[in-house]
Amino acid sequence: MVDYFSIALTHGLLALALWRLLSRDDLDRDPPVTPGDSESGA
Amino acid sequence: MLNLGLLGFVGGLLAVGLRRPFLWVLAYIYIDVVSPQKIAWAILPSIPISLIVFLAAFGGWLVADDKTGTRFTLRQFLLTLLLLYCGYTTLTADFPDAAADKWSWVWKALVFAIFLPLTLRTRLRIEATALALVLSAASIVISAGVKTVGGGGGYGTLQSLVADNNGLYEGSTLSMAAIAIIPLVIWLARYGTVFPRHWTVSLFAGALVFACLLIPVGTQTRTGLLCAGLLAVLFLRTTRRRALWFFLMGAALVIAVPFLPQSYTERMSTIENHQADESASTRIAVWSWTLDYVADHPLGGGFNAYLGNQIRYERKDAPAGGDGYVVDKARAYHSAYFEMLGEQGWPGLLLWLLLHGLGIVQLELTRIRLRKSDDPLDQSDRMLATALQQGHLVYLFGALFVGIAYQPFVYMLIALQIALVEQVRRRRQPARRFQRTGPRVMRPLSPGNTA
Repeated sequence: MVDYFSIALTHGLLALALWRLLSRDDLDRDPPVTPGDSESGA
Repeated sequence: MLNLGLLGFVGGLLAVGLRRPFLWVLAYIYIDVVSPQKIAWAILPSIPISLIVFLAAFGGWLVADDKTGTRFTLRQFLLTLLLLYCGYTTLTADFPDAAADKWSWVWKALVFAIFLPLTLRTRLRIEATALALVLSAASIVISAGVKTVGGGGGYGTLQSLVADNNGLYEGSTLSMAAIAIIPLVIWLARYGTVFPRHWTVSLFAGALVFACLLIPVGTQTRTGLLCAGLLAVLFLRTTRRRALWFFLMGAALVIAVPFLPQSYTERMSTIENHQADESASTRIAVWSWTLDYVADHPLGGGFNAYLGNQIRYERKDAPAGGDGYVVDKARAYHSAYFEMLGEQGWPGLLLWLLLHGLGIVQLELTRIRLRKSDDPLDQSDRMLATALQQGHLVYLFGALFVGIAYQPFVYMLIALQIALVEQVRRRRQPARRFQRTGPRVMRPLSPGNTA
């Protein structure tokens, strides 16, 4: 019973995390630095 | 039901990777840590799931991933050297079959540790990997923690998800790993973006940290208790309210001790009186055997070279009448340092120490580098460097008493460190280049220079 609880909870959270990652653009590419930073850095 | 559930979950992992190949990397981490094929005994064990997911992760990276700015770092080079050296000692091992057996999983851990930093190019990927590691370990930790509360603990008897003594399922290893991930759990709760700050996140993180702290109690391993003590001291370094932390630690100890089972307090009391304890005496005997062994075999005896040992040690609490000595054969190293020394000799131990020592130093340099920055990204990275460093020190301390030199979980933490150091280096490089070249370019145009 305890095992089922532990597996359900953590696997549910893992599934939710993966679901959220699917729609995140910054997973594959870091967002560009903020405009102020890019001006000073260019 | 469980079989179907886990099979569905693994199938889902493979499916999401089709859209985002990086998720296969997380899938491999999950499979390596949790070993779902051991939990579900119907269909999964018959599929080489670990190999399939690794090939998917590697193929996905090779074909679809952007590799701009990726570097092969010094520590990845050291890992490669260690891999090659271990391969060499396996070929010349004292016990070729036993060595080949250990090599069969060690090479995978090392290859994945070399590969993982190449994929962790973005901040989110680093966070996602930390999250996958923590949640995967949590599935074992929560189960063991709840059973401990329910009174199901005991040295060598606390069973988490499966009755297995490998990987994280081994008591002392789980104790060490559970304590080592506590800083990472706290970091994810404070700086995470996949699960941003929320009371539910804090509640889960708090409960998970509590479960982690219960593991040394549940498994009744002295290593875990010592690791928890070290972590408490390490927290003192970074906390702003040291007096409060001291008070809380003392209060927690006073409250907790009466609730600990008697068998636990009895076992822990042998930390001081180690001469009466067989487990401690064998360790010391094996370690001195190892030192003698490498005097004759400086290049090591290959994996599982300890099988050749025969040790004789004294027991202080031996019954009257006997000579008080016990003779034993093939005792394991019970220390990662001596494991490296006996199996890989001085070159292997040196490489291994360099790999770990460099990690601690690089993380410290990263902390120093970001110390004065107000940028929220820098602060988050600095705290992650701190968390990884604390976890690593806990590992290096626990490794004094447990033979976990090749624990795959730790190599994933190392890969995470490499990726973080690289991430910080890359992000701060453009600004530094500007500072260096900027004034030189500007000088001819400034009024002062025309005069």
